[in-house]
Amino acid sequence: MAKIVVLGAGVSGHTAVSYLKKELSNKHEIVVVSPNSNYQWIPSNIWIGVGRMKAKQTVFPLAPLYKKKGITYIQAKGTAFYPEGDNEINKGYVLAEYVLGGKKGQTIKIDYDYLINATGPKLNFGATEGLMPGTNKTVSVCTYDHAQHAWKDLEALITRMKNGEHVKILIGTGHAKATCQGAAFEYILNVEHELNRYKVRDKAEITWISNEYELGDFGMDGMTLKVGGKKMTGQDLAEMLFEDRGIRWIKRAGVYKIEDGVVHYETLEGEYKTEKFDFGMLIPAFSGHGFKAYDKNGGDITEKLFKGFMIVDADYTKKPYKEWTVQDWPETYQNPSYKNIFAPGIAFAPPHTISKPRTSKNGTAIFPAPPRTGMPSGISAKVVVDNVIELIKNGENAKLHKGSMGNMGAACVASSGFGLGKGSAVTMTVNPIVPDYQKYPETGRNLNDTIGDMGLAGHWVKLALHYMFIYKAKMKPFWWLIPE
Amino acid sequence: MAQKITKTQRFMMKNWIVQFFRFLYLNTKILFVVAKGHGGTRN
Ligand SMILES: Cc1cc2nc3c(=O)[nH]c(=O)nc-3n(C[C@H](O)[C@H](O)[C@H](O)COP(=O)(O)OP(=O)(O)OC[C@H]3O[C@@H](n4cnc5c(N)ncnc54)[C@H](O)[C@@H]3O)c2cc1C
Repeated sequence: MAKIVVLGAGVSGHTAVSYLKKELSNKHEIVVVSPNSNYQWIPSNIWIGVGRMKAKQTVFPLAPLYKKKGITYIQAKGTAFYPEGDNEINKGYVLAEYVLGGKKGQTIKIDYDYLINATGPKLNFGATEGLMPGTNKTVSVCTYDHAQHAWKDLEALITRMKNGEHVKILIGTGHAKATCQGAAFEYILNVEHELNRYKVRDKAEITWISNEYELGDFGMDGMTLKVGGKKMTGQDLAEMLFEDRGIRWIKRAGVYKIEDGVVHYETLEGEYKTEKFDFGMLIPAFSGHGFKAYDKNGGDITEKLFKGFMIVDADYTKKPYKEWTVQDWPETYQNPSYKNIFAPGIAFAPPHTISKPRTSKNGTAIFPAPPRTGMPSGISAKVVVDNVIELIKNGENAKLHKGSMGNMGAACVASSGFGLGKGSAVTMTVNPIVPDYQKYPETGRNLNDTIGDMGLAGHWVKLALHYMFIYKAKMKPFWWLIPE
Repeated sequence: MAQKITKTQRFMMKNWIVQFFRFLYLNTKILFVVAKGHGGTRN
């Protein structure tokens, strides 16, 4: 019998839990430790943030589902890792702190045979001075409650515009090394779409601000896609859309400070500039959670487990951009020091970025961190589950499963407006996610699998995915037939 | 200068019949790209 502890119940944690439950017999124990009582389908936050979906349509409570499935659920947050145990517990454990009820603030030691760290990112608003949702005229769509608040503010702004006021809207990245450009891209297009619907588009100047070198980089070093049979770059596609929607853009911008309705940013040319706004949605930096790790005697071994995020089987050797290869990216998501610890999704430390690193004339790094979207988060969780099961079954002789982002396809459906009849989305598929210039010297990706499409059908796909993934997350009959 | 969305492209992007077939195509394409599987990159 093995005890598997999963930290985090987001896209990768919950995927891992679902497959563990499906694949393992009941004699094995599965424990989930997560501070949020709900599962949330994050991609639909964009629609909450423009008032087209209610938060309750995107979340469901985890406790009843886990109870029904015989999974132990502890509503707590992991704080420290003891992979060797201590003088009381002779096996690895995680120290967690209850976040609710009478036990709030109390700690608990949760021992394990296998640990899956799927804690995703910390939304590091503090890394940018003045960037706190609900202050300085900024909002966020990173969580469902942030997104609800974003819609309240946007609704109030629309009322002001209906009364004849002209406003400035600023959407993009709120840190020089932020990632998740895709979410901001969706939000700016959805906001623009809604302003048209409310017939106030002419009252707003909408501006995109981003740390990307060129539009359409998306933290993936851009991409060349086939659109309608013709080759097009991500940059062409994004610029075409922004031009069409009358959105102006500021690129190569490292945002470092927000004051009431004013963003301060540095450009790659080393200039310091400002931009005013009445409504801003700026994606914060993502960081690790600041976990600590200790050995059996209480010695600090944090550097064995973490480099910000968790260390896995990536090649972390520092080398110049020109020498980066897909082989640097992890395959098994296993920690090299403690073979019973894994980190799928955003929780693993990437070897480096995917986009080319650039610094301003003042030495500030201004370029996107690597994104890990829902699909690779789900797939890496499935790879981790396969590996845990392999280890349970075969121990020392286990042959681990592999799923590198350099040998994995993914789809991204970026909503550009909600509506069954008038909605639209930009659908992109890429293979592989991390470009492989040895295999595909021209563009780094297989052009037959790397395509783009714009139109109403994309919205239908995105909406269908919303319902499908919530169905899957609820572990309803045959949920496993729906791919990650 | 950014490329422009042409009138024909705009018509196609909004036309329900065209988009119904695009919907089928996109779902198939996504399934195909994802279901192609994944693996390692090192020898
Ligand atoms: C607004 C927005 C829109 C997006 N849209 C898309 C999209 O359209 N398509 C797409 O593919 N991807 C999209 N993404 C990205 C996608 O949401 C992420 O790739 C995905 O959520 C990552 O999964 P994860 O499990 O690694 O992290 P998360 O989903 O963030 O899950 C982390 C989990 O860990 C828990 N946790 C945090 N701290 C602790 C702790 N100390 N102890 C225990 N548990 C902890 C959290 O409560 C959460 O349950 C979007 C992201 C955002 C922010």
